[in-house]
Amino acid sequence: MESLIVALFVCLVLALVTKYLSIPAIPFYILAGVLLGKAGGGMLTNNEISQFFSEMGLIFLLFFMGLGLKPERIASNRTAVLTSGIIDLNVNMIIGFAAAYLLGFSFTESLIIASAFYISSTAMALTSLIENRKLMLRESDTVIWLMVFEDLVLIIFLALLSAGNQNLIIFFAKILAVLGILYALAHYGKEFLISILDRDDELPILFTFAAVLTTASFSMYLGVPETMMVIALGVAFATTDPDAFEQHARPFKDVFLVVFFVFFGVTVDFSGGANWFVIGAISILAVASKLISGLLTGIFIHDSALSGLEIWANTIARGEFSIALAVLYGSPLVGTTIAAMVIVTSIVGSFMAKYSGILRRGLVSHSRHKALTRRPH
Amino acid sequence: MSAMALRSLNLPGVGTKYEFETDKGDTVAIFFTKTGAVQMYTLQKGCRTPSAAEMSPVEARRLGNILTGAIIEADQESVEIAFSALADLRITIHTFFVTAAVVGKTIEDLQIRAKTGATVIAVCRHDRNIINPPPTFVFEEGDAALVIGESDQIKKFEREIMVN
Repeated sequence: MESLIVALFVCLVLALVTKYLSIPAIPFYILAGVLLGKAGGGMLTNNEISQFFSEMGLIFLLFFMGLGLKPERIASNRTAVLTSGIIDLNVNMIIGFAAAYLLGFSFTESLIIASAFYISSTAMALTSLIENRKLMLRESDTVIWLMVFEDLVLIIFLALLSAGNQNLIIFFAKILAVLGILYALAHYGKEFLISILDRDDELPILFTFAAVLTTASFSMYLGVPETMMVIALGVAFATTDPDAFEQHARPFKDVFLVVFFVFFGVTVDFSGGANWFVIGAISILAVASKLISGLLTGIFIHDSALSGLEIWANTIARGEFSIALAVLYGSPLVGTTIAAMVIVTSIVGSFMAKYSGILRRGLVSHSRHKALTRRPH
Repeated sequence: MSAMALRSLNLPGVGTKYEFETDKGDTVAIFFTKTGAVQMYTLQKGCRTPSAAEMSPVEARRLGNILTGAIIEADQESVEIAFSALADLRITIHTFFVTAAVVGKTIEDLQIRAKTGATVIAVCRHDRNIINPPPTFVFEEGDAALVIGESDQIKKFEREIMVN
């Protein structure tokens, strides 16, 4: 219990400081976990309570993601979304996988690292667009839809990675069955759900919490991945009143997710057996490969490499989903590598997102200057 | 009047975007973000970098009042609503901070409706709102009154009741 209280108190201070400085909090939650955990003399230790809180954090994160994926929201510029999504997926998965495999990780480990390497932090990307007042830039739309595309890919990853050695046909049949039940419930119980959500008492929040937990434990009982099912629950509920569900699930998500980040940090061990060369290489490549995919997207979608730079700046940060993949499927070594990558990319990312305007202006005036000096007199 | 092309767009995870281009070619974009903040961007024709302002919902409403042409003095504000379906009925709602002329008097004493035609529909006192104050309601120092009526009636109210 003390561990949890120490963790919450540290996070409260970190949240205050990072909000004041308007920098992302996620890397600092993880660092706090690292410093106060194994590396810092074991002030924080994982126990049953923190384990439970962390699981809740992950489940609510995914439920929230599902709520945001509204089926009727189809982008008006579907080809652009698809093009940028496919560039982003291919470039980063290939570089991530090749790098991890060449650096000595096993095939499965490399696949997990590549997935974590590919998926940018939706939370940090969107916050950076809002806080740095970039919403009007045309690149912002590209970034926002890229995040939706990545979320959809993540769902496929979760299905494939958790299938494991099961009979795939039975596995997917079970998933479809649970999905069917969820949609039927949301569809036929829509009025009932809305009447519950409209109440002023404790019922809406109690219902939201119970629905998410029931779905998670029910899918564990059936042997289908609970991660996918809570996303599906979110998508199904999004057809009723997503804003109300967001409002009622937010307190759970906010508290549990912070605990999730800190205790993920606690499991990370940079001191023993961590290969700094591997960690450094993956982290640097993670920044570089988003530059390649960003530039390609900029050139293909906006006809401008400078736009690519803007897309890059806002998608460098890896975060919550990379950590989720590490926690769900990663070995300790994979977890440590992903932790380092998240910390490095989110700090570099927040810096680049803040100063990308200056960078762009600098490049433009530099090229103009070059053009002027080249002109024959 | 040319139809202004106002685009509204739902941005997943961010909020709602409204954008339109003015006749002169400048672009204005408003974002209602999920965090509650409202961001307004303006992009001058021929420029590449927009300028932005972030507002709280209250500030955004204030800006809206200014843009609709309502009178805003130091701490008084007024909104005019036109109902085009009702023979262009124009109703003005105006806030007044009570003056010494009315402090200690009731709405009945002042004969507000008989003299001006305007109606006091709410009074804000110490951050609490009293909706539909009765005729026996006594004004106190520091009260802010919300008065509704046609713009002539509001002017009359200001001339005859607030100044005495």
